[in-house]
Amino acid sequence: MRSKIVMLIARQFWSSTFHSKAAYGILTVIMLLVCFAAYTGWRTYTVQDDIREHYQRVVRESWENNPDKHPHRMAHFGSFAFRVKYPLSVFDFGLESYTGNAIYLEAHKQNTINFSEASFSTGLLRFGEISVAMLLQIILPLAIVFLGFSAVSADRENGTLKVMLTQGAGWKEILIGKSLGLMGLAMLIIVPAFVMTLAFMIDTKNSHAVELFPRYTATIFSYVIFLAVICLITIVVSAVSGTSKSALLKLLALWLLLAVILPRTMQALGSYFYPAPSKIEFETAIEEDVLKEGDSHNPDDPHYKHLRDSVLMVHQVDSVEKLPFNYSGFVMREGEKISANIYQAHLRKLLTVYDKQNSITKMTAILNPFSAIRNVSMALSGTDFESYKIFQHQTEEYRYLLAQKMNELQMELISNEKAPHDKPHAISSDHWREVPDFKPTSPEWTTSINDEGISFLALILWCVVALGIINRISKTLKAI
Amino acid sequence: MYVLLIKQFLRSRINVVALMLLLIIGIISIFIGRQFLFRQQEAIAKVTEHQRTHIERNVAANDEMGLLLYYLRFSLISKPDKLAAISIGQRDINPGIQSITIRTLEAQKYDTDLTNPVQLQSGNLDFGFVIIYLFPLIIIAFTFNVFSEDNESGTWKLLAVQSRSALRYILSKVLTRMLFVYGMLLLLFLMAIIVLRLPMSEALSAFVILSTLYITFWFALSFWLSMFKHSSGFNVLALLTIWVALTILAPAVVNNFVASAYPVPEAFSNIIKQRDSYHKKWDVDKKVTMDKFYAHYPQLKQYGDPDENFWIWYYAMQQMGDDESLNESKAMREKLLQRDKTSRAIALAIPTMHAQMQLNDLAQTSLIDYLRLLDNAGDFHERTRLYFYPKIFTSSNPKKEDWTQFKPEFLQPRKGVNWLLMATPLTVIIMVFYSWAFIRSKKLYNL
Repeated sequence: MRSKIVMLIARQFWSSTFHSKAAYGILTVIMLLVCFAAYTGWRTYTVQDDIREHYQRVVRESWENNPDKHPHRMAHFGSFAFRVKYPLSVFDFGLESYTGNAIYLEAHKQNTINFSEASFSTGLLRFGEISVAMLLQIILPLAIVFLGFSAVSADRENGTLKVMLTQGAGWKEILIGKSLGLMGLAMLIIVPAFVMTLAFMIDTKNSHAVELFPRYTATIFSYVIFLAVICLITIVVSAVSGTSKSALLKLLALWLLLAVILPRTMQALGSYFYPAPSKIEFETAIEEDVLKEGDSHNPDDPHYKHLRDSVLMVHQVDSVEKLPFNYSGFVMREGEKISANIYQAHLRKLLTVYDKQNSITKMTAILNPFSAIRNVSMALSGTDFESYKIFQHQTEEYRYLLAQKMNELQMELISNEKAPHDKPHAISSDHWREVPDFKPTSPEWTTSINDEGISFLALILWCVVALGIINRISKTLKAI
Repeated sequence: MYVLLIKQFLRSRINVVALMLLLIIGIISIFIGRQFLFRQQEAIAKVTEHQRTHIERNVAANDEMGLLLYYLRFSLISKPDKLAAISIGQRDINPGIQSITIRTLEAQKYDTDLTNPVQLQSGNLDFGFVIIYLFPLIIIAFTFNVFSEDNESGTWKLLAVQSRSALRYILSKVLTRMLFVYGMLLLLFLMAIIVLRLPMSEALSAFVILSTLYITFWFALSFWLSMFKHSSGFNVLALLTIWVALTILAPAVVNNFVASAYPVPEAFSNIIKQRDSYHKKWDVDKKVTMDKFYAHYPQLKQYGDPDENFWIWYYAMQQMGDDESLNESKAMREKLLQRDKTSRAIALAIPTMHAQMQLNDLAQTSLIDYLRLLDNAGDFHERTRLYFYPKIFTSSNPKKEDWTQFKPEFLQPRKGVNWLLMATPLTVIIMVFYSWAFIRSKKLYNL
């Protein structure tokens, strides 16, 4: 294969495309959409992050400004956690709109993360959103099909192909050259899209996060591979089809199937075959398990009776009033530990069901490059399910820390004697500051890549396979 | 002639395969709807059973009315209309069941259902999706070359010189294709009616009519385009571009616009406000809270003495959570209504969006239906707490209460269909396309 000829064919394809006005139209429309998507992505990011950081501060101030009081009141006062967006969500919204944004963190109770964008939606969110990533994943491939379906078949129809072959160009050179030309056209969108993403990303407040650049680079790399696969397949179909029209119909059918119909159908089947428990089932199961362990409010409960007896024995006293620490704080610490463990176990089970529901989509990534790039892109942008699970986990961790800190303050500083009626037990408000503020962290980028290892491999594999097909068909293709 | 046209249509393997594919996905969607409905009904049965045992257990364990009502949860259920199975809408994320205690309502009513975000993102494969996304595709596949294929093969020239009514031949071809597409729609509706046991109702007939109008819109569009004598390749490209624009791009653009034009910070300020309004009352003199409480409910002054009964003060503090966050709560509701209004206004011009929103309205799975449940939860909560306040304040004995009367309550479904709003936009668009196509058709004979 002579690279000079390949480049010549690529250039020729490129310039002949721009002979038609349609190409300008398609590229301009997509470019405008990319600008719109990048701008709204950036705007949503800044507006939402400002709102959330603002309220996180309000919550903290409200917490610290509490006067002296009983620590258990503070455990009930609780706190809120607001989910901040990851800077690359400017590029790929991923699951951002479908995951909750605010959660109330209080003692004894795990609340749901509420107020997702989807819950505020007027029903339109079901049509999807428009992000730069979505345009590169769904719309740009369609444009590539539009621009490239006749790349080889038109040359065959008007006889140019025969001339090229007799003049010494090889099939492989023609196919690779056309693919390169088509990829060049795609680059007209890809390059500005990523430059814009970079500009908006740097503008976001958390851009100093060191993680951002490896993620950004890996994202570019994945998209280039994905779109190269699309270009190669387009050229292959164009070459093996008898007419341009039949090439177009095949490619459109393929696009519809792989980009639109299959992903939704596979996910729907996953959810159909692994139904998740309803909220009432989930909550009742937890309630039952907690009751089984024992009721800390019931003085005759065997679990807590046994606990009291053993505590009294260890400290060699005959009543809880004589213990060196506040006994009810101790009981609550014990109760919190038990209920939190039970909740965690049930949550893990629930997440396993969700993982099973998603497993079909994840597996089809091997066969469907559209699913593969979607998974990779979300993971790298920090907007995938794994990132959300980490947030969910951190909120529960923080809730537990807060509740137990208050229980320990109670054990340490509150007397076992009953307080007089007009003056309840209280501790200094200085202690409130001892609880650290909620500071969520995002996963390492290498973890994200590991999570979507299959999809990464699938993309590379697709590229290799597509090149292999070109190599193979270039030996058997006919000029007429 | 029709028999020949039907034979010709069926001879194409692609047409038959496409129809089969549509049928299979249609059936899958109906079964997904059935499962959805089944799960919702199961949850309602569980809630009903749970409320009974939950009340029994707590009444047995607590002798104090105030403490008992701290725990007791009462349910208000919005039973899904059976049509929800074919247009799930917002019903999968916004719960149809409110299980609430008589404490601060604002702290409870916004809890979401448990959801798998990946599933939410990919969207439900309900029958509504099949109608809105897939039927247009099959119409495009069947009709993009309804004229151009004869034009390209030269048949048209032959026909046109032989008869001035050659257009009728094209129309018959379109009618043949309509026969199959409407037939498929009807078949799937019949299956849905049987599998889901849909009752005959005004909403169901509206559902069928809206779907038919929507499908007719796509036929009109394709027919109109074919009158311009473009090549088959151009037609299919143009139609698919329109499909992408209407089903993917336009709604997504509108969605981005609405989401970024109307952010809902009120949701956050509201939950913080209600929490602070209740919890910080512990640090405020009891009299201040009681004065506010009695200003709201002067009729409750006669029950009990707040200095003797701790629970009076306690529930007065809880009440402050709702009373003092009223503005934030209203602002949030207003914001959501604004979103809905804007989306609906834009949807009038975009058939896909209009169809989707109307289907959700008919199935009572829209945002408005969720807001309606929230509003009713407010009334339900108010009724329940006003029933129990006097009993708590006078420390009445829980064992004397007839608890069996506290069964879950059901929200009455919305009645009536706004036919005019539903049918007008699509009818107008269809008429414009067909009239334009008719005027244009004269030019077909200019060979």
